[in-house]
Amino acid sequence: MNQTSQLLTALCWIIIALAVSPMLWLIVQPYVRSMSRSERRATDLLRDTLTSEQMRQLLWQGYLEIPSPTKPRRVYRVPRTRGYVQVLENGRTIMRLCLQPIEHLPDADMIVLHKLMIEANEETYLQKANKYMCLD
Amino acid sequence: MGMLRVMSRRGDDRLTWDEQKIQTGDAEAIAAIEEAERIFAQERAKGATAFRIDTGKPVQRIEKFDPTAEQIVLVPRVVGG
Repeated sequence: MNQTSQLLTALCWIIIALAVSPMLWLIVQPYVRSMSRSERRATDLLRDTLTSEQMRQLLWQGYLEIPSPTKPRRVYRVPRTRGYVQVLENGRTIMRLCLQPIEHLPDADMIVLHKLMIEANEETYLQKANKYMCLD
Repeated sequence: MGMLRVMSRRGDDRLTWDEQKIQTGDAEAIAAIEEAERIFAQERAKGATAFRIDTGKPVQRIEKFDPTAEQIVLVPRVVGG
C-alpha cells in the first residue's frame, strides 16, 4: 500500500512536470534566444536603427509602430516576435500582413527589416506581403 | 567610417571602411571597400534590397553601392508569408 502510494505520488509529479515544462519553456525561450550570438548581433543592429523611444515602445508594449510615409493616418504595428504586421488606420486594424525573408533571420533583424522596408520601400512591401483584410 | 551590414541567420555580417584613408590611397582601406562593393553586388544579384542609413536623415533605398554612406544594410529577398 505504502509503495503504491509512493508510486502514485511520483507519477503525479512526473505528470505535473510534463504539463508545466512547455509553459516554462515559453517563458524562458525569449531570454535563452536573446543570449545566442546571432540574436545579440541582431539586437545591436536593432538598437542602432531605432530611437530610444521606439526601443521603449518595443520593450514595454511588445510592438513597434511605424507611421506610413505616404498615408498620414496609417500606422504599421510590427510585433516584437514573429507574427502578422497589423495595419491600422485611424486607430482601427484594417488588415494584417505576412511577409518573410527567404532566409531565416533572428527576431530582432525581422523588426529592422519591416522598418526599413516600410520607411523606404512601402510600395514594394505592400505588393509582396500577403494581405488578410479585417472586416467588422 | 562606413559600414556594410548584411542580414543573415548569423545576425548581421559587418564590413567597415575608412573613406578618408581611401582618399589617401591606403591599400588596406581600398581592399576593404572593394570587398564591400563585391558583397553588395553579390547580395543584390541574389535579390537583396539595400538601404542607406545616415544619422538624422530618412532611410533611403539604394540601387548602387555608395562609399560615402554612413551605413548600408542589405536585407534578403522577401516573399509573402
